[in-house]
Amino acid sequence: MDRRKMLALLGVSPVLAAGTPSFARTAPPTTPDAIRGAASCGTDKNTVTVLNPAIATRLAERVPLAPRLSSLDGKTIYLVDFDWGGMGQNDSIQQQMQAWFTKHMPTVKTIIKIKGGNFVTDDPALWKEIAANHGDGVIIGVAG
Amino acid sequence: MSLEAGEIERKYGIPTVAVAGRNVVTFGINANFKYNTGMPIRFVGFPFPFSGQPQSVIQQYIEGKDSVSGKPLMQAIVDGLTAPLTADEKLSGTAPDAPPPEPRLLDADTRDNLQQLFRDKGWTDYNPVILPTPEKVAAMLKGTSHAPDEIVKSAAGTFGSRRPFTVEKVATIAVMAGAKPEYLPVILALSTKVPYQDSTTSIANMVVVSGPIRKKIGMNSGLGALGPDNEANAVIGRAMTLVHKVIQGYVEGVTGFASLSNPLRYDNLCFAEDEESLPEGWLPLHVQQGHKPTDSVVTIFTGWNFINSTGWVEQHYAPQFLMRDYMSSLSGMSATLIMDPTVAELLSGVQGFKTKADLGAWLSQNVEKTAESYWGNSIVSSMLAPLARQGLKPYADWLDLPGKTFVKPFANPNGIHAVVAGGKTASVWFATDFMPDRGTSIDEWT
Repeated sequence: MDRRKMLALLGVSPVLAAGTPSFARTAPPTTPDAIRGAASCGTDKNTVTVLNPAIATRLAERVPLAPRLSSLDGKTIYLVDFDWGGMGQNDSIQQQMQAWFTKHMPTVKTIIKIKGGNFVTDDPALWKEIAANHGDGVIIGVAG
Repeated sequence: MSLEAGEIERKYGIPTVAVAGRNVVTFGINANFKYNTGMPIRFVGFPFPFSGQPQSVIQQYIEGKDSVSGKPLMQAIVDGLTAPLTADEKLSGTAPDAPPPEPRLLDADTRDNLQQLFRDKGWTDYNPVILPTPEKVAAMLKGTSHAPDEIVKSAAGTFGSRRPFTVEKVATIAVMAGAKPEYLPVILALSTKVPYQDSTTSIANMVVVSGPIRKKIGMNSGLGALGPDNEANAVIGRAMTLVHKVIQGYVEGVTGFASLSNPLRYDNLCFAEDEESLPEGWLPLHVQQGHKPTDSVVTIFTGWNFINSTGWVEQHYAPQFLMRDYMSSLSGMSATLIMDPTVAELLSGVQGFKTKADLGAWLSQNVEKTAESYWGNSIVSSMLAPLARQGLKPYADWLDLPGKTFVKPFANPNGIHAVVAGGKTASVWFATDFMPDRGTSIDEWT
């Protein structure tokens, strides 16, 4: 029985027999000639070595959330319509949210605003306005 | 939406909850958070669809559940504003769970196992790929003078997340797609344009190659130009698909959410313009964009619709009339007509359109649709209605028109383009809503 079959029977990957370390060669060569120096056959003649096409993704630096409110009592909450459809037709969602607050949390003051621009543009003037008017919280939506 | 919520939180310190459909929430709390924003925005999942729903349905949604937490929706919103931050939500700076670097070489394995690995990893179009051995990649790199370790672009992921990639990575993908080394400059130029456009709508891309490289690498601009029977067209189109998946990281349900998607995405409509058959006065696409005739350029178009003329041009109905009729079903945001050289000759020689721009100007004035149909297209309404409300002409004038009033949706004649290709065996054409970018130099990558 050859070594490959024996390892397979023992539940050991034949890749291990090839002895190719996964992370041993991470620095790319700088010329095509240097690349050609790498052999495509593994030590087992039935295996082959290939380049990894995967791109490493770098995680974004973490940004903390703003501290939360201890309660909504007496607070001013802005209900911002994202204007997903563009026709100003979805603020009915904000109106129904407003009605919910009126019924269930009547001490909360709610103000409906429609975000300017379209769904791919920001509206920094509105965020500035909310801050200037002492908005305590924002509910922004709906996108989909 | 993550960006807006993030700005309110970060810049003004105001607690914010983002309410969105399942696709936006999934992307927002996973890939977009990890790779783009770094801020764990509190999302609440709103049922979908919500646009066009009656008040009674919206009320049910408001009284229903948050699809993220399973709590009553409004309670989840209140909790989003008031529940104390977790330790994870307070983190700042370098992320603690950075993934390990990708090894340059994969473990040696059998060809069958590697083909399976490539499929499992999402690195294929589910057809077998050419395995990128060091020898094949080295041979591919002969197609460019650029060093293998040169960074092609740093921000390549969906919405610009940081996925720097090298010339060697693109060469590896070019091998996988079955490319010849001489195709590599085109594929490198294409790769500089990631991230490619994705959408929940059925958006697609189209690749048009212009200039001397078309003939040098054997691209087809003639008989069957849009069909599958040309190696360079087919392989470059396939390479774009693999760049989209491997480099951009496009995975349906993770970074892409196209509800129906589009069969035009299979090979990205890759072809070349037949510049030699353009009527006198009709400039090649890349020359219209400001490039020299001797430049080699690749242009990526983005669009949704591809309307076939079906038959040939009839004697009793000039081609521009049927184009006008068919284009009335398009949104009006942009159009590209793809036509056989015989159609271009009829338009130029018989109908008197001495330039592509002349044809665009005529269509801009003659394509019409009702105002209600125009605003009924959600791409138009979502992009242009907010700007119309701010006074942007002529759209501001159309907002309050009676629904049955006709408007000219292609208000900008420069938004109508023409590309000529085909085998001169039938006077056929396509009316599309594809919108070109400004074209990317291929010569810079030779």
